[in-house]
Amino acid sequence: MSVKQELLTIVGEQNITDLHAERKVYSHDLAPLPSEVSWLFKSTPDLVVKPRTKEQVSEILKIANKYKIPVTPRGAATWGYGGAVPTKGGILLDLTGLDRILEFDRKSGLIKVECGVVWQSLINLLDGSEWRLPVCPSSSPSSTVGGWAATGGLGYGSLKYGRFVDNVVQATVALPSGEIVTIDKMSTPLTLEQAFSSEGVLCIFLDLTLRLAPKLEAEEPFLAYFYQLQGALKAANRVLELTKPDTLVLRAFGFLKARRDKPIKSIEDAESGAILFGLFNGSKAEVEGWLKAFRDIALEFGGNVRPSGEAWDEWNERFYPLRIKKWGPTVLTSDVLIPVRALHDMILYSWKLGKESGMDVELEAIFTSPEHVLYFPLFLSDERKPLKYLSHTAITKKLIDEAVKHGGRSYGYGIWNSFHLKKSEPERKKELIRLKKQLDPNNILNPGKTFEARSKFGLALPASLYSLFLDTLWVFGKVL
Amino acid sequence: MSLFKLPSLQKIDIFACAQCGYCVKKCPVYNVVNWESYSPRGRLYLLKQLQEENKSFIGKLVSKDKLDIKEVVQRIYDCAICGRCEVACHLELNLPTLWAKAREAFFSMGVAPQLLTQVETTILSRKNVFGMDAESRGDWVIYTGVDAPVKKDAEIAYFVGCVTSYSGRVQSVAQAIASILNHVGANWTLLDGEWCCGHPLYVSGAVSKYRELAEHNVKAIKSTGAKIVVTGCPGCRLALAEEYPAILGYKPDFEVLHFTQLLDRWIAEGKIRVEKSEDPVTYHDPCELARLGGVIEQPRRVISALTSKFIEPLERGRDGMCCGSGGMLKATNPTLSATIAEMRLNSLLNTGVNTVLSACPTCDQSLAEAAVKAQNVRVVDLTQLLAERLGLM
Repeated sequence: MSVKQELLTIVGEQNITDLHAERKVYSHDLAPLPSEVSWLFKSTPDLVVKPRTKEQVSEILKIANKYKIPVTPRGAATWGYGGAVPTKGGILLDLTGLDRILEFDRKSGLIKVECGVVWQSLINLLDGSEWRLPVCPSSSPSSTVGGWAATGGLGYGSLKYGRFVDNVVQATVALPSGEIVTIDKMSTPLTLEQAFSSEGVLCIFLDLTLRLAPKLEAEEPFLAYFYQLQGALKAANRVLELTKPDTLVLRAFGFLKARRDKPIKSIEDAESGAILFGLFNGSKAEVEGWLKAFRDIALEFGGNVRPSGEAWDEWNERFYPLRIKKWGPTVLTSDVLIPVRALHDMILYSWKLGKESGMDVELEAIFTSPEHVLYFPLFLSDERKPLKYLSHTAITKKLIDEAVKHGGRSYGYGIWNSFHLKKSEPERKKELIRLKKQLDPNNILNPGKTFEARSKFGLALPASLYSLFLDTLWVFGKVL
Repeated sequence: MSLFKLPSLQKIDIFACAQCGYCVKKCPVYNVVNWESYSPRGRLYLLKQLQEENKSFIGKLVSKDKLDIKEVVQRIYDCAICGRCEVACHLELNLPTLWAKAREAFFSMGVAPQLLTQVETTILSRKNVFGMDAESRGDWVIYTGVDAPVKKDAEIAYFVGCVTSYSGRVQSVAQAIASILNHVGANWTLLDGEWCCGHPLYVSGAVSKYRELAEHNVKAIKSTGAKIVVTGCPGCRLALAEEYPAILGYKPDFEVLHFTQLLDRWIAEGKIRVEKSEDPVTYHDPCELARLGGVIEQPRRVISALTSKFIEPLERGRDGMCCGSGGMLKATNPTLSATIAEMRLNSLLNTGVNTVLSACPTCDQSLAEAAVKAQNVRVVDLTQLLAERLGLM
């Protein structure tokens, strides 16, 4: 019996395909890849399989071990670092079919959901209840619960409620061997902390039990426009000191300004405006107090506080940060987690990169704690111009290098940022490699990623060579 | 075979697509088939790949992984062009137009489904989408016994459309519209020699001869002297109001209304008075009327005049769920179309109401067919229900 036939007996004919068009669609994620990537990685899977139960996932992994076939788990593929992109073909596991709400205890606020549940459907489900999501990703309309668990778990609400992992009680995962285990904060061989953000190289999330947050008495978004970015930055810091927002976001415009002839020596040279928006929730008195504090802070730093209706409009738009992409038509970005104190310098650096490469830039920063901010500048490029675009892709390395200098790190690694793990989080790299050897001796689960970039030929690409390659590309791009 | 070529605006759109996937679970076809290549995001990716494969000499040399164009064509035509993807789109791309333009490209390459080339021939020769005798287009008047004039110097022209004219199940919609027009004493007329509006050609991608139909119908309308054209078919409304100006290069000198828009006016003006009942009803927004046509509130006001128990479904208005019959899907993939209709009917019945209203003969038919298995469910056109309540049918 062939591998396909064995898999077919597990998931049924409707849930497996090797049709070429289908395999091509499952060969990528958010980021458009230059076609040259196919020289190094076999990103098109041989088979796409759509399991419907956790037992099916387990059986598929057992077959993959038997034949030593790579398995790439995939949620909604809303990440851009290659976490859901195969490196050596094999089986692509589309996990969106595991999308059931398994339990919802309305008394305790605990909800158990399968990994393929989309965040937006959870938001809709909780709409009429006494509970709300404490945290959710900026891609909530499509991204899945399991996908976010595997890839980062910082987003809206993190400022008040912490990381996604802090709001999870336990999870069921499939280990690379196919064994299904329940994990929590103290479990062995894997804890929740180790499994979260392991980018699918250690386990596949099957279901998660989330601790919901109770809906509070009052909830009100806020919004202010700032003529000068500097004012918005100072105001953001003061808001963090004096209030307790659920979410605080800084978005700086000024794209198209990076092409000005004037050199950019300070933030104000970019002549960027900015907006500061977010959400307060708490008792009525708390929210009123914080709103008043926000108004005072905004006025002090030259902000124009907008009425509630406009603030709600902006809040409702929070899941649409890529609207500017149509002016690219390609966007290059790299999310970095940096200290709040470094935001000023990172913004300045982004403007400089934009200026050097001729790319327009919009900046977005989600404050994830009083000390840290998830920063993602969106650089507008054009993949239809292959050489120029290839040189532009080096910008992600530039950004991560700079973030590391400031004590920050890449938000995720996947294939394309895996070279940065050692510099950013050396201890974590050691732990990931140790766990990988222990849990996945056949190296079948999402191989060639996160702590290495291993090509389809089995060779790990040397970080120094990769670094040199990207730096050369960048210089080449400036000449073009 | 010629190369796949899109107009420049649509070409930019396929590159602009963020691949964010916000459209995926909104797509009725994806929700049935469950494979990404059938989702709007997947289709856009395939179109982009096709475009890239055509592009560079080097690309052609190094690529061993070329797409089979038949697989792409099938996915582009397995789409109801309902436009729900556009509402969800992160970048607000004009996706219904993109799907239509992609079909146009495939049609001109000669790779469109064979059935649709036959449909084109049929429409051009018989002047209707079913291949029926053109002369029998007005036979519904005889069957229903309604008084339906054909005259000059009318104020309102009623454009009946192929489905309403020929399809026995929904000829009652034509009867209802004619009866109501008579009831209010409108100075109205049928067209002398109505042809297919051409919308089926547009959504098939077979646009090369569309102009012939548009010119004929505009001439026929103008000859009546009417300044208002009404139709009960959202597809015909789209053709007359939006596709004709684009294809003819000018906007014909008449207002095009869906009949529910006219009913809304007449109810507001007191020309139609109907006693409000307490019969519960729900309403299916036809995609081509609500999302693509922008007619959302008017049918609701008409329904609210009819009953005090109007229960809205969860998916409604601009976010309404498709019945699966648009974009010629009912012709090219009837099984898929019927499955989508069943899904939509179930979502409507989740309101707990057994009377499902719509305002499109094709939606009426598809949902009624889906309702055959259900017990005590009535699918009826809003116009027909009003005519019944007025004692006209």
